[in-house]
Amino acid sequence: MKIAILSGKGGTGKTTLSVNLFSLLKNVALIDTDIEEPNAHLFLKDTPSLKDTVNKGYPIVDDKKCTLCGECGRHCNFNAIIPTKKNVMVFADLCHDCGLCKMVCPENAITYTPKEVGKIFEIQQPEKTFYYGLLETGEISGVRIIENLKEIDINNDTILIDCPPGVACNTNTSIDGADYAIIVSEPTPFGISDMTMVVELLQKRGIPFGVVINKAGLGNDDIYSYLENEHIQLLGEIPFTEERASISAAGECIVDHDETFKNILENIILKVKEVHA
Amino acid sequence: MKEIAVISGKGGTGKSSFVLSLLPYLKECIIADCDVDAPDLKVLLGEDIKETIDFYAFEIPVFNEDLCIKCGKCVQHCNFNAITEDIKLKDGACEGCKACEFVCPTGAITMVKHQNGHLYTRDTLYGPMVDAKLFPGEESSGKLVSAVRTKSQELAKTHKLDNIIIDGSPGVACNVISTITGVDKVYIVTEPSVSGLHDFKRVIDLIHIFNTEVEVVINKSGINPDQEQKIVNFCASLGLTIALKIPFTRDIPESIARLEIPSLSDIDFFKSSEWVGFIENFIAYLN
Repeated sequence: MKIAILSGKGGTGKTTLSVNLFSLLKNVALIDTDIEEPNAHLFLKDTPSLKDTVNKGYPIVDDKKCTLCGECGRHCNFNAIIPTKKNVMVFADLCHDCGLCKMVCPENAITYTPKEVGKIFEIQQPEKTFYYGLLETGEISGVRIIENLKEIDINNDTILIDCPPGVACNTNTSIDGADYAIIVSEPTPFGISDMTMVVELLQKRGIPFGVVINKAGLGNDDIYSYLENEHIQLLGEIPFTEERASISAAGECIVDHDETFKNILENIILKVKEVHA
Repeated sequence: MKEIAVISGKGGTGKSSFVLSLLPYLKECIIADCDVDAPDLKVLLGEDIKETIDFYAFEIPVFNEDLCIKCGKCVQHCNFNAITEDIKLKDGACEGCKACEFVCPTGAITMVKHQNGHLYTRDTLYGPMVDAKLFPGEESSGKLVSAVRTKSQELAKTHKLDNIIIDGSPGVACNVISTITGVDKVYIVTEPSVSGLHDFKRVIDLIHIFNTEVEVVINKSGINPDQEQKIVNFCASLGLTIALKIPFTRDIPESIARLEIPSLSDIDFFKSSEWVGFIENFIAYLN
């Protein structure tokens, strides 16, 4: 079973829930697809090792073949290749690697060369596998890294996907193929506002979901009436305590220190299994 | 005109609470919420919309079934896996490159404008605001951020206002790059946790590429003294200024829950000389 863990708003506790479930479950994989700011590995005892690099192509123009006809520039929709009177300028950072300039070049003067946009790291243990992707800083998009993460063949019974915040293309790619989604929210108006966008995304994609309210008690009760009105299942509540915040801040799993927290998570797992059965 | 952006790397460190807390002290300015896939300033500043603008980032293919011979060339040539084997467009995968239109041998593909979201302007107590909503699952959030920035700059001119305060999104990719490109100064709001520090370092790497003036705000100070010391040491090693430390208190999320701007709530920190001094410096920089 593939479970996506997402939130809309950042900092609600996606990674906290993901790493603690990973610690608690047996025969489980965790994939951290927040390639811009991955954090799950900071909570694991082993150091991840490099598995792959992820490349994106960008065009190189052969000056000897190029006649400066300008077709490449006319077709590029990203302003990444601009013919001047003297040569053709390529802006690799803006290139989306669509290949159109190469297709339209009548002189076959364009080839694509790879550029590293990110890396994939892994930890392999008996019954527990972990992967995360890391975008090179300065790169505009890491969707390709997420696609590569999602293509890895994983045999564990449960696969947890720790998604990025927001509802844009990164998140959309992260939830591909998920059987179920857990939204981690918090009882503030910001938590609710951002959650509504995630709800919209999951409904559009037809992925069933439930909600975990993290930092319960740190806000107000509006979230409960929202869930009731929208007929969304509440999977569990994790009360805010400064001890829990401090344990997580130190990069440790709360399940190793806090029986009550562990019980809450076990109940969440039971509810998810009930829904999925 | 001065543009100041607030970003964080990690989500949930308190960017929006910080931006909101600044506003009551400033003379009228333009407020730009560039967190287009989780916009929150409107929740406290007022949901009333003055103007809605449809946002089209690019064109996507429409397939004419009568002309399509199912040759699959469009599928083969799409580098974004946006077209399924049965020649349908997958949601949110197309980046608008038009390669499919070019390779289609029968002219079965036409490109049509694709709406990715909305841009809004609103009037608030503290000045005109621009924000946006990306349709969930869509591409091009970076372009939508740029559209928010452009609209804010236009409004600053028409309203003859000197300053734009920008609330950014978490992360380090297109959204954040579009948020900080060309701004005068960036504030990074971080928190004393392993995740906060890790993400803070990445965002500093990004800032260094752009060579923008930067100051640091440590929010939720006190929640983990060890991690906080690491942030302080890291800043010292790079010569980064820590402009403000906001102590962790339940009062801040609770004020947000009451829809009150934290600095206008009865919270001790916002009466402290540290906060008052910070605001004085902030205003001096704007003038």
